[in-house]
Amino acid sequence: MGELVALTKKDLKILLRDKTGFFFTFFFPLIYAIFFGTIFGSFGGGGSGTISIAVVDADKTKTSRAFTESLRGTPELDVVEMGRDEAVELVRRGGKVAYVALPKGFGVQRDGMLWGEPPTIEIGLDPSRQAETGMLKGLLTKCVFEGMQDLLTDPDKMHDQIEDWVASIKADENVDPMARTALLIFLPAVDTYFQSKPREKAVADGEAAGESGGAAGFQPIVFESTSVARQWDRPKNSYQISFPQGIIWGVLGCSAAFGISLVTERTKGTLVRLRMAPIGRWQILGGKAGACAVTTFALMCVLFTLGTVAFKLRPSSIGLLVLAMACVSLCFVGIMLLLSVLGKTEQAAGGIGWAVLMVMAMLGGGMVPAFFMPSWMQTVSHVSPVKWAILAMEGAIWRGFSPSEMVLPCVILVGVGAGCSVIGVRAFSWTEQS
Amino acid sequence: MLKLSHVRKSYGQNVAVDDLSLDIEPGEVFGLLGPNGAGKTTTVNMAVGLLKPDAGSIELDGQGSPEEPRVRAKIGVAPQTLALYEDLSAIENLNFFGQLQGLHGPSLAKRVAWALEFVGLTDRGFDRVKTYSGGMKRRLNLAVAVVHDPPLLLLDEPTVSVDPQSRNAIFDNILALKAEGRTVVYTTHYMEEAQRLCDRVGVMDHGKLLALDAVERLIEKHGGKSVVTAQTAAGDERIETDDPVAELSRLQAGGKLEHFRVDRPDLEAVFLNLTGRTLRD
Repeated sequence: MGELVALTKKDLKILLRDKTGFFFTFFFPLIYAIFFGTIFGSFGGGGSGTISIAVVDADKTKTSRAFTESLRGTPELDVVEMGRDEAVELVRRGGKVAYVALPKGFGVQRDGMLWGEPPTIEIGLDPSRQAETGMLKGLLTKCVFEGMQDLLTDPDKMHDQIEDWVASIKADENVDPMARTALLIFLPAVDTYFQSKPREKAVADGEAAGESGGAAGFQPIVFESTSVARQWDRPKNSYQISFPQGIIWGVLGCSAAFGISLVTERTKGTLVRLRMAPIGRWQILGGKAGACAVTTFALMCVLFTLGTVAFKLRPSSIGLLVLAMACVSLCFVGIMLLLSVLGKTEQAAGGIGWAVLMVMAMLGGGMVPAFFMPSWMQTVSHVSPVKWAILAMEGAIWRGFSPSEMVLPCVILVGVGAGCSVIGVRAFSWTEQS
Repeated sequence: MLKLSHVRKSYGQNVAVDDLSLDIEPGEVFGLLGPNGAGKTTTVNMAVGLLKPDAGSIELDGQGSPEEPRVRAKIGVAPQTLALYEDLSAIENLNFFGQLQGLHGPSLAKRVAWALEFVGLTDRGFDRVKTYSGGMKRRLNLAVAVVHDPPLLLLDEPTVSVDPQSRNAIFDNILALKAEGRTVVYTTHYMEEAQRLCDRVGVMDHGKLLALDAVERLIEKHGGKSVVTAQTAAGDERIETDDPVAELSRLQAGGKLEHFRVDRPDLEAVFLNLTGRTLRD
């Protein structure tokens, strides 16, 4: 065991002293993760998973303020209120995805939408970020209808609103007489209906009226919630995609570097010395595998810690993330052993090894995230261990995998690692005999 | 110390070592000479347990085959290729290889200090090997071979590409190891080195041992005649003779000897006489 530790420590020491190798092992993956995380972030609303907008409230009425608050309460939106000129400038410079302007008269229009023109909201969009436009319009519509739902589910609010509406209709001379008559009959009748509904006490203190189980009132649909497994089908921020990818490049680099170093041991003659020592071949290869495993695991720990502290990586499960990292390590240690027998010289092993790893990375989503690939290529990507490595890490970060869902990628990673190890160790022994 | 009995090794149709028997005595410096492709490397690799012979047996110090790790631990090897980690210091190299040989703690520190002192690298022990000259690397290569205090040393061309100072230092090291009673197997292409250091020499070619004896006796048997080159009033004469003194006396008595030179046969002559002058690939 002491010899195994000595072999592992020796390789780690050599790696740490090789400045180029150290850079490509630890810093390149970090730069990759930050660079692509930032680029992807510009497509996703400031890198925080929200759409950052400016709100211009030119109306300054109770209704417009309530609408602005409703926008603020929407988790998908990052809302800042400001003047129109400032908002336009900020969107023009790319500081915000869009501005939402509530014009003068918005409150009156909104309150009188049953008989007058519907309220108008102006949206100023950054044309380079069309992807968010549809989502933003959907969120604005949702906020408008949330106000309606509020009324329909709270008889007291409905009562106050109907009184306001009735007063407005009576005061507004422009309302069509037919509509005025109909509304002055219809609205009090609605109020009577809602007031006649039996009131139920909120089930628990603090439960807001209007929510399911709160005060009675009209509800267009009743939702029954059933607890199911968490299904986070999109990352919270772009770094949750770019960090696993960056880490994969570091792991590939480790695999290639240690594979080549095994060839170097042979060409430089140190392997003869190692074999002359009273230790078994499994210890020689085990030491190299141990150093590779420690390095890849340390690389993942360092990058994930940095990502968590500085880039809001927020893994959904630390335990599953550690499991994923361990499986990724085992897989690429096996691949390292296989790479070490692909060439008899460092140049040959390096060339062939990187060619194999690049194909793995291309197919497996190491260069372009798999979900950007056409469907046929996503099917082909199943053959690449990189795909399963990224899936395992993403499963523990943002996909919200359960332990049973982690089984498939982990079993595949460990299986590939074991298979490659067996082939590598056998081939290594054979090359030593010749 | 090291006994090879009827050892044979072939690679496909090519017989590298053919029915070779050798018995290397404890405390001797044994030189193994031969042209390229003679089978020296294969013999050495079998002797240290890196290769398994197809036939015959190898035994070290009566304790078994060097293929067994505990037997192999009694051998120190300085390969011709500098088998060192250049990004580590001399001390780190020695510590690492010492640990692999089972040394730990104070005994390891003591042996590392001794090995550095032995090859004169104590002052540069903390420097990385890549900053060393060729001669220093060769000396460290020898230090790594002796760090675990093995009774048998195998030195494969230990003076290749070194300056005369380092070469002399290595010669002194080898003679010191011999004086301590260690057995040394020495392969080289430099005949003068073998002649200076080795008690006995074996000459191999085509996988077979052609001759094995003390250097002087090999020269006697296979070196050929001495050559006397004399300058006389009648002109230059070149005389091959078994008795150069008698020949010189004869020339002197004739009163016509002005200058002379005697070339006695050496190990190189033995080598060429045994293996021929045909170029080898």
